[in-house]
Amino acid sequence: MRNKAMLIVAAFVIAAASLPLFAGPYFLSVFNTIFVYMSLALTWDIMLRTGQLSYGTAGLFGLGAYASALLVAKAGLNPLVSIAAGGAFAGLLAFFLGFGVLRLRKIYFSITTLALTTVFSVIIRNLPRLTGGASGTVLPRALFNGDPGKNYWMIYCLALAVIAISVWLSKSKTHYAINAIRNDEITARSSGIDVFKYLLFIFVLTSTIQGVIGAFYAQQYAFVQPEATFSMNFLLLPLAMALVGGVYSTIGPVVGAVLLGLVSEYLKLIMPYGHLIVYGIIIVLVVLFMPQGITRAFAKLFTRKMQVGGVDSASLRD
Amino acid sequence: MLAAASKKQYLFIALLVIAAIVIGFWEPHALIYGIQRGSLYAVIALPLALILGILGVLNLAHGEFLTVGMYATFVLFSRFGVDPMVSTVPVTLLLAVVGVAVYLLTIKHVLKAGHLSQLLITFGISLVISELIKSIYTTQPRGVFTTYSYSSTTLAGIRFGTYEFLYLLIAVAVLVGLQLFLKKTRLGQATFAVGQNPRGASIVGINVSFVYLFVFGLSIAIVGLASVFMVPRVSIFPGAGTPYTMKSFALTAMAGLGNLNGILLAGIALGIFEAVVNAIPGGSGWSDVVFFGVLILVIMTRAIREGRR
Amino acid sequence: MPVLETRGLEKRFGGLLAVRDLSFSASRGEILGIIGPNGAGKTTVINLVAGIFPETSGQIYFKGQEINKLSTHERNHLGIARTFQSVRPLDHFTALENVMIGALFGQGMHLAEAREYAYEICDLIGLKNVDRSIDNLTVLDLKKIEIGRALASKPDLLFLDELMAGLNADETAEMIEVVRELQRRQLTIIVVEHIMAVVRELTQRCIVLDGGAIIAEGSYEEVAKQERVIEAYLGKEE
Repeated sequence: MRNKAMLIVAAFVIAAASLPLFAGPYFLSVFNTIFVYMSLALTWDIMLRTGQLSYGTAGLFGLGAYASALLVAKAGLNPLVSIAAGGAFAGLLAFFLGFGVLRLRKIYFSITTLALTTVFSVIIRNLPRLTGGASGTVLPRALFNGDPGKNYWMIYCLALAVIAISVWLSKSKTHYAINAIRNDEITARSSGIDVFKYLLFIFVLTSTIQGVIGAFYAQQYAFVQPEATFSMNFLLLPLAMALVGGVYSTIGPVVGAVLLGLVSEYLKLIMPYGHLIVYGIIIVLVVLFMPQGITRAFAKLFTRKMQVGGVDSASLRD
Repeated sequence: MLAAASKKQYLFIALLVIAAIVIGFWEPHALIYGIQRGSLYAVIALPLALILGILGVLNLAHGEFLTVGMYATFVLFSRFGVDPMVSTVPVTLLLAVVGVAVYLLTIKHVLKAGHLSQLLITFGISLVISELIKSIYTTQPRGVFTTYSYSSTTLAGIRFGTYEFLYLLIAVAVLVGLQLFLKKTRLGQATFAVGQNPRGASIVGINVSFVYLFVFGLSIAIVGLASVFMVPRVSIFPGAGTPYTMKSFALTAMAGLGNLNGILLAGIALGIFEAVVNAIPGGSGWSDVVFFGVLILVIMTRAIREGRR
Repeated sequence: MPVLETRGLEKRFGGLLAVRDLSFSASRGEILGIIGPNGAGKTTVINLVAGIFPETSGQIYFKGQEINKLSTHERNHLGIARTFQSVRPLDHFTALENVMIGALFGQGMHLAEAREYAYEICDLIGLKNVDRSIDNLTVLDLKKIEIGRALASKPDLLFLDELMAGLNADETAEMIEVVRELQRRQLTIIVVEHIMAVVRELTQRCIVLDGGAIIAEGSYEEVAKQERVIEAYLGKEE
């Protein structure tokens, strides 16, 4: 059973890696986008595993993007190095912000992260000499000169790394700490868990990843602009993907990203205005009717047939 | 829920008055504009605070309801030639109905589901509303022009718009209305009790679920009322109401949960502050940073004062 | 040197003085009872010593060290553990994993090490079927998980908050045995308890709280006779 599962996963990994060998540029760009959102969905979910709902995903994504783009445009840094630098910048900022933000809980944490996103984008818009202001900054060259195959491989590797981090976390001691914090903070403290330390670790980790993904995005399109770079899409889509797939897991955001990523491509074609409404409806419906997500709903269906217990039953409502 | 004005509040009022006088001499337009805008912020923030205080739900779709009201007013005006002032009644009623419908379909079912579900579902609703509007009316900005909304007068050599003083009038009316409702009517007292302790309220026979429904409907109706009066002065587009969610929360956080009077004070204070920043040469782009900066600062100090270890 | 000592401990919630001028100590291997009517401030004392919220004034010494400024998890690392009045197990974890939490973070063990140690603890307290989810456990088992998690952090001082509430006579007897076993291991145990039979059975010494202050101190037999205690309790006697 276990071996079979490993084989299936390996088949998927190899198939996805060899996509550029036979797929055209349109297909590659669709999956490129899916991997961008998949990585963000995982980071959003990892933060949620601590019980903190972040609305700051787009903000740190945007900061990473700007840091990387400006380092290339103004300091002539190598684009690949700048992607790492973008992540480091987002992570460092998250570290300092964490000392304030991570004292907050529930709606106060969520709304503050949302406010920070706005603050970041307004600050950037108001520094035209440095950032190009509202019209943004165009880079002289796109990453890998815009080669779709290479860009695909790059984001594919990044997404695999994020998946690996998520899996590793779920098997580590940190998993126990953050689940305990989400479940009941007082118990967690009383059991010796340094709540702040773990929250800070997860916040910096997820922010760094968001920064890296943002930086990659900026380099790939050789362009940053406040409205596009801090777009709410970088919060909304990952959030909907993680919810649909099933929160507090690795498989959930991955499946959700592929599913919604493909749906959204189709919707964009048939609905030029307001296709995001589908995401809104999905979020509402999932919260109301399927808080455990699609992967767990399926798992339950199958295990019931096979008379096997022990499906992880975590859901948003916990 | 409704703390009487405390000593601190009087101190705040005194400081506000002093600041207003100083600003009045230095830049009278900023003062006038600040009071006008601030009152509007307060009208919009009051219902958010009411829902948060009684239902315990932070409604992230708050600003989108405002947008719905604007478009409703716009449609009445452009299709049927109804003057916005006449639209007050139908739009307020419409929003009450929309609020009740949204409550029954969604909010009602997540009241016990925890804050994550509530934050997510209202976020989802905000998206559904704004995208629905986008798909019907596209992103093209619309406007409703009325002559009276641009009337102005000159006082002591200062020329200023008069229409927006209506906001102050409405803010005071809504505030007084709410206070009277909560203190003098049976339903209001029941609402107050539910806000204090829903379990206790239901034990003494208060129909808690009706109170929730009523409060949500009433709150969204107030949002509708605010939207009508905004329409003659603002550009209408799918995201027009969105920033008001955060601004409303900023006022609520500043005033402290349950302090309705404080919201008007906080609104005027932030309105003046914003107007002053805008009056500084080159400052106009930064007013949002100021607003959100204050919000973040207020939340932080409150969290730290509550003193978790 | 006492394991725990408080001097003039006070806690004010707004206008309410929940704990006033509280000075007491507990020595190694002792089982100390804290009793008193509802609202006497018993659980508040635990919360103060565990660092859930800060005291208004007074000092807390643990193994001779002042711990007032330490946060909850640091106090746990030093050796203070507790159970909760209302059981608070972690959902989606097995019983064993719940117990592991204490070993992982209270003791800083690695996963494998903590797992082994958690099995030992479960054995010690008679917790069976530890690899199943906690969804359908009995109150007794949930309470044992509480104890297990607290014990797994290898405490020197263990607070048991209303451990027997909700247990039937047989279960109570079993639990008393568990606590006795812990005492044999030289743990200092402070029990907050409503059921007087349990207090009489378990404790060597009691302090009686009323309105946040100590009104009597001594063996159960001694304090139970005192006029003030009877007055404070009136009818609580079993």
